[in-house]
Amino acid sequence: MKTIMEFENISKAYGDVAALKQVNLQIFEGEVFSLLGPNGSGKTTLLRIMAGIETLTSGEMHFDGAKVDESNINDVRLKTTMVFQKTALFSTSVYKNIAYGLRLRGHSKKEIDQKIKEVLKTVKLEGYEKRSAKKLSGGEQQRVALARALALDTQVLLLDEPTANVDPKNVSIIEDALSWVNKENKTTMVIATHNMFQAETLTNRIALLLGGRIAQIGTPQEILRGPSINLASFARLENVFSGNSKILQEGTSVIEVDDEVEIEAALRKAGKVTVFVRPEDIILSKKTIASSARNGFKGKIVEISDFGPVVKLRVNARKEFVVQITKRSFVEMQLNVGSTVFLTFKASSVHLV
Amino acid sequence: MRKTSLIWVALLVIAVIASVAATAYYLSPSTEERLIVSTTTSLYDTGLLDAVETEFEAKYPIDLNFISVGTGIAIQHAQRGDADLILVHSPPDELGFLTAGTGVNRKIIAYNFFAIVGPEEDPAQIRNTEPLQALTKIAERGRDGTDKLWVSRGDNSGTHTKEKSLWTSAGFNLTTLTKESWYVSAGSGMGETLKKADYFGAYTLADMGTYLKYKNDGLISSVVLVEQAKDLLNVYSAIAVNQTLHPNVNFDGAITFMKFLLSDEGQQIIEQFGKDEYGQSLFIPAVRLLKENTDPTMAQMIKDYAFFNGTECPQEYRKGYPELYD
Amino acid sequence: MHFGLGNEIIDGLIKALQLIFSGNPTLAEISIRSILVSSSAVMLSALWGLPIATLLGLKRFPGRFLVKGFFNAMLGIPTVALGLILYLFFSNASPIGFLRLLYSPTAMIIGQAILITPIAVSFITSAIESVDPEIKDLAKTLGASETEASIAVLKESMNGIVLALTASFNRAIAELGVVLMVGGNIAGFTSVLTTTIALETNKGEIALAIALAIILLLIVSALTITVNLIQRHKT
Repeated sequence: MKTIMEFENISKAYGDVAALKQVNLQIFEGEVFSLLGPNGSGKTTLLRIMAGIETLTSGEMHFDGAKVDESNINDVRLKTTMVFQKTALFSTSVYKNIAYGLRLRGHSKKEIDQKIKEVLKTVKLEGYEKRSAKKLSGGEQQRVALARALALDTQVLLLDEPTANVDPKNVSIIEDALSWVNKENKTTMVIATHNMFQAETLTNRIALLLGGRIAQIGTPQEILRGPSINLASFARLENVFSGNSKILQEGTSVIEVDDEVEIEAALRKAGKVTVFVRPEDIILSKKTIASSARNGFKGKIVEISDFGPVVKLRVNARKEFVVQITKRSFVEMQLNVGSTVFLTFKASSVHLV
Repeated sequence: MRKTSLIWVALLVIAVIASVAATAYYLSPSTEERLIVSTTTSLYDTGLLDAVETEFEAKYPIDLNFISVGTGIAIQHAQRGDADLILVHSPPDELGFLTAGTGVNRKIIAYNFFAIVGPEEDPAQIRNTEPLQALTKIAERGRDGTDKLWVSRGDNSGTHTKEKSLWTSAGFNLTTLTKESWYVSAGSGMGETLKKADYFGAYTLADMGTYLKYKNDGLISSVVLVEQAKDLLNVYSAIAVNQTLHPNVNFDGAITFMKFLLSDEGQQIIEQFGKDEYGQSLFIPAVRLLKENTDPTMAQMIKDYAFFNGTECPQEYRKGYPELYD
Repeated sequence: MHFGLGNEIIDGLIKALQLIFSGNPTLAEISIRSILVSSSAVMLSALWGLPIATLLGLKRFPGRFLVKGFFNAMLGIPTVALGLILYLFFSNASPIGFLRLLYSPTAMIIGQAILITPIAVSFITSAIESVDPEIKDLAKTLGASETEASIAVLKESMNGIVLALTASFNRAIAELGVVLMVGGNIAGFTSVLTTTIALETNKGEIALAIALAIILLLIVSALTITVNLIQRHKT
């Protein structure tokens, strides 16, 4: 497979802040590549470097075999295009927005008209040519931005969180469009996302980015299904604990997370371990309950996040736990920030990372 | 291609420069020669120069540009070479101008009289007194406690210079005088000063030309109280700017215009001006008077007041065109 | 007293309207000259003002703050002070005196252009700065070069730019100090609305002065309203 972009030991720093540290990466022609990572991990920076709108602090980038520097950066800009996370549109009509890049490339009016019609069809916005771009809904705006990018038929398409702030109906339109484009035109696509499930459905390969470094590269299978401390710390940012584990007689282990916090897990491992507990596996109560569960903590609610049918609570019980309960329970229990609660979970709910 | 947008930008820049240049060109007269004349406000405000300009420009391909300022400033313009010719009425300043080497070929063109004008009621009772006496009476009355009794031009104009010389001749110290409360320094042209004097019910020194015009137009109600005295003689001269000192000035054009003013036709225009409207000439032609001595007393007054070393322009300040002084 | 307020003004207003509607040629000549001089001044100031403002608005260079501060300070420069400086600059005694630009419409155009440059630069810089910073990157990722991307940003700030130029024109056509000092208010040559209003008032020609003042106000209002209408129509 032909390598279309290659990054050798690249770093990018903004003043004192290092956004990317010694990243090594190869993107193959025609693949859909996802950059997965939490906010601030450097995904956007890497994407912007690929788009040719950000410079490297150190290291080398190669595009289509040629080393990229000031003399050919314009070339990179013409062969790639990026759709930003926050939709950026010119204050003109949909037509003129899409036509901008085409005009720069010297297409005739006829070609431009034709192309715009095509791409608007792809994103299901037929007939929107004369509409004022900035007056459309959020989802429609993002689709215009996508159409604009697609119209250019670039070798590489870069997308920064393409569906992050978009409602479900528009999400599926966008994902279908991307899928179709990749199949039809064999366009190489690099998608930055923090949504694991999107990464899973669309992509060929995933790179996990943490703190400006690439933690792991692999297929969706390898990254998302296999055991991985990196995945845990990214995907399950909540309820990850490290400590010294001692095997107990009964076949469980007790992990000393810190001076006052001990977690009993249904596994046999000694030495330094990292474990996690799923938020939905923790039972919340207003009074202590006597149960078979091995783990019980008392704490105070410090943060409440409403996710519609479920509510996630951050509870400070010397260590921070994230607990997920149904909305119904939340309402019935009349919980508030500051409420004292009790957390209970089984030893079998504690998993090794 | 991307070249296209750069080409558009370049075209736009050229278009802008072109239209600005075209506008400037359109607004400026193209072929005609230009003559910049710095003149005293009294000649300009009365409208005499407009009449002269019409006749002159009909005959000659020269575009006359009059800049109306005070005599002092007119001389300054000329000293910088920003004017080609000056029309002024202050012999002491004119002499300075000549001796500095900047002015050449001075010719006296016309004369009239200043007058002391003031309110009908004449609180200081100066009517028909001699000028110096009138000023003394005004000062006394002012010091008696009347506020704003005298308005001065205060702008280094010819009229102002005349006024100052009168006060000095009457024995007053100008530095202290100007600070007294009844003495108002207007810092404005003749017309404006007349209006201020009228407004305050005060006296002022005015040239008859401007006074008559303003009085006739109903802009002021002041009346003439002291006039036609030797001390109040007002003589207008034209002086060209020395081309040796300022090579860029239009010397020949200046002489042409000067000759026009001195010609019969020019002198006729000056004499006729205002006769119909005001019943008298605002400015009296001086060329024939001086050349042929038609009114010896008057001619002598002018010579006493406005000649230097017995001539209107000493030999060393003449340059070319000897026919001016036959 | 001849400055009783009511009478003279009403009288003047009536005579003024008569003058305007009779199509008085002097009025027309002075008005046209005013418009031409100030329009040219605006075009000139835009010519050098736009690049400066683009630089200030888009590039972070050392000393940027000082340059911005300079133009902001120059916003309030007294016109007579500038007029005096320019007078000396165009005067025969200065190095460029041989051009004989003093007392000419060209000098007036240049003088006004210099006067309004701070307005143009300050306003346009603000307009550019308030454009979403992503626009420049957007243009680049769509294939634009540095220059083309800057032009895209300028297009986005077009409303602000038009406002700046309108304000500049209004300032130019309404100022007296510069145009009087370097123009000299020569009848039929460098007299414009403001200088004539001043002169005629001094000469006591109140009706003519009022007529000219009305015309000046009409020109300024007409321009502002037209610009507003066009901008509204475009959105």
